[in-house]
Amino acid sequence: MSALTFTLKNRPDQRVDMSPLVCQKLAGLTPAEIGALELQSGKRKVRVDALFNIAGADAQNMVIKNSFGKLDFIGKALHGGSIAVEGDAGAYLGLGMAGGTIHVSGNAGIFAACEMKEGMITIAGDVEDFLGAALPGNKMGMKGGTVLIKGNAGERVGDHMRRGTILIEGDAGDYCGSRMTAGTIAVMGQTGKYLGYAMRRGTLLLWRAPHLSARFNDCGAHTLAFLPILFASFRQLNSRFADPALAFNRVRRFGGDLSEMGRGEVLVKM
Amino acid sequence: MLIKLTGGKVYDPANGIDGKQQDIYIQDGRIVNKPGLDVQIDQEYNLKGKVVMSGAIDMHTHIGGGKGNIARTLLPEDHRADPVARTAITRSGCGHAMPSTFVTGYRYAEMGYTAGFEPAVLPVNARQAHMEMGDIPILDKGGYVMLGSDDYLLRLLTAKKDQKAVNDYVAWTLNAAKAIGVKVVNAGGINAFKFNQRKLDLDEKNAHYEVTPRQILQTLATAVKELGIPHPLHVHGCNLGVPGNVETTLDTIQGIGGLPMHLTHIQFHSYGTEGDFKFSSGAARIAEAVNKHKNITIDVGQVLFGQTVTASGDNMRQHANHKLANPNKWVCMDIECDAGCGVVPFKYRDQNFVNALQWAIGLETFLLVDDPWRIFLTTDHPNGAPFTSYPHLIRLLMDKSFRNEMLATLHPEAQKMTTLASINREYTLNEIAIMTRAGAAKLIGLEDRGGLGAGNWGDITVYTENADRQLMFEKPDYVFKNGELVVKDGKVVKVTWGTTHIVKPDWDTAIEKDLQKYFDRYLTMKLGNFKISDDEITEDGRGSLTAHPLRNGV
Repeated sequence: MSALTFTLKNRPDQRVDMSPLVCQKLAGLTPAEIGALELQSGKRKVRVDALFNIAGADAQNMVIKNSFGKLDFIGKALHGGSIAVEGDAGAYLGLGMAGGTIHVSGNAGIFAACEMKEGMITIAGDVEDFLGAALPGNKMGMKGGTVLIKGNAGERVGDHMRRGTILIEGDAGDYCGSRMTAGTIAVMGQTGKYLGYAMRRGTLLLWRAPHLSARFNDCGAHTLAFLPILFASFRQLNSRFADPALAFNRVRRFGGDLSEMGRGEVLVKM
Repeated sequence: MLIKLTGGKVYDPANGIDGKQQDIYIQDGRIVNKPGLDVQIDQEYNLKGKVVMSGAIDMHTHIGGGKGNIARTLLPEDHRADPVARTAITRSGCGHAMPSTFVTGYRYAEMGYTAGFEPAVLPVNARQAHMEMGDIPILDKGGYVMLGSDDYLLRLLTAKKDQKAVNDYVAWTLNAAKAIGVKVVNAGGINAFKFNQRKLDLDEKNAHYEVTPRQILQTLATAVKELGIPHPLHVHGCNLGVPGNVETTLDTIQGIGGLPMHLTHIQFHSYGTEGDFKFSSGAARIAEAVNKHKNITIDVGQVLFGQTVTASGDNMRQHANHKLANPNKWVCMDIECDAGCGVVPFKYRDQNFVNALQWAIGLETFLLVDDPWRIFLTTDHPNGAPFTSYPHLIRLLMDKSFRNEMLATLHPEAQKMTTLASINREYTLNEIAIMTRAGAAKLIGLEDRGGLGAGNWGDITVYTENADRQLMFEKPDYVFKNGELVVKDGKVVKVTWGTTHIVKPDWDTAIEKDLQKYFDRYLTMKLGNFKISDDEITEDGRGSLTAHPLRNGV
């Protein structure tokens, strides 16, 4: 069975809520039934077949072709199956996702992997602010799963993050790891200002020296036995994180944010 | 326009009618006597087999004022999870625990309610409360103005000014804030909180003003009586939610010395300290006292399980409870140096001993108070539960087996601590009509609402009889507001705008001289701006004011 493929016919002016098009909601539907579903676009509802050409039948393997940055809520609450996005994804990619995989060949918008619970999201390009964060007003961000960004990430990566892993091959913006409760964020490139702002627990793993605020204490140099185990867990990824040459076990450790609980750690490669 | 409602079974306790089949005529918005045979009926509704009551009145519901907006800001998830789409005649909105204004009006009307009263209008914020209630469609509304922790009153009491000075100030405030009653929240406690007191018993002095809650309650209850305000002093007592506060509440009832007093959300004030968990029901003792003291009226503030948000002027008690916030975020604040506010989200859980017992205490109170004219059906929306749970609450009151089935699923220790299972009482439709209509109108002093006699406004709700009272009260067949059909089959079919009910007691204009000085020296607002003019309510073309007569007016 070939992958269920949605090819965007032309780009609508208004943003599109793609949340009805996830694997579990489309299983067992005929192409005609899928085409008759309605998507919210701006203040109007648009039929799926008015926006997309539909081909293939395997709802567990979805492909969205010609995607662009106004297709929001792709893979919302996905719990199993895979979605391949060819092009860019809009805001709230994989919101509340509970399983399965999403791969984006281009860039993704704000709040990608927001409140994600399980599964794997890979973004080949860049991602905007609030990666793996909580919805505004909520207290818990990403709670599990893995997010891999091959490009750069915006500000507020992992805001209110609770559990899970965020891997960024490029740079991360300001406030990386802000208000983190727990979890792991690894950044190979540069990090911005206010790193770990108000973080309570959790780990920030860095390849380059950050600008740290006075609210982080230098805890000295350490050889940590858990790091080889952590890097081994990345071995299967199609990523620079899988490269043994980039792994390390010797770090300088900083503890903070001391204006909060102060049990978070920033580990910097030595 | 003459409308005839034919053959319904009418429950109109205001006129002593208990389930009698009779016709009702509405002419130009008001109910009229049967017209002559030659008069033409413009529209007739066949209500054979239906239950007819007047529109329900919620006499204590937090639907206006700043704390609602704080709750909305604090809980975006409450709104995200409950969107309401617009229709051709209704506007969009959202919110389960604290819905938007428009949705509040629609949902109340769709349950057969035609009036709601905001119990905590801070005088300094009254304009905002009225503007917000002005955006609530269909319902009539009104507010009780909050006094008792404001510095001006406490200064009057410290200076031992006579009762007349207090009366003038109360009357002046009622007029300035356009209210229909006077509310006290944790008398003096909101103020004492600012002087670092974290609890205040009935006879404990405010550290700065040296005034006790008992003094404040007596003075204000006397003022309300002497001014002839129909609604008795509306009291949110001391020590809300504290185990053992049943003693405080009983003492409050005793101490008011026969003056009319309404004790609100009394469920939160009926806790003992017995049992393994040092938390027990004081409902039986409270009910006994209420049955004995005819000057006391109460509403229950029933707790029902689920997510809600507590919003109260009682920042002292809200601060004490902030660690129970669920989700874990909360707000306590001062308001314009004149009052306070606390908003704490809450999730009542049936497997939690305290919550389960709170549920049972509320129901015990309902069932043990004999006189339905002196007890009112509230959840203290949104503090005990959102108002949308009223039909469920009515079923709990009217259906003993349903009640006991629910009780059997609660925290086992809580089941042992309540006598609920042994109470056989089931409310009748007539008693429900008293609690939610005739009694409420009488309590607030609404002249021409809450009854179906000639001369009353045509606020009428029509239900289909159903043994499942929840289904019955969830979805009325018809709701008329001022004689216009606004809801059909549980859906809004026409959007109208209700009036704002007020009273206008007289006062000695000389007090404005002293108030002027006080405002200029201490308050954030000028005296001239503090007073709300009639135009502000009516100039949008929707709002109106209805002043009700005073009792033995001064």
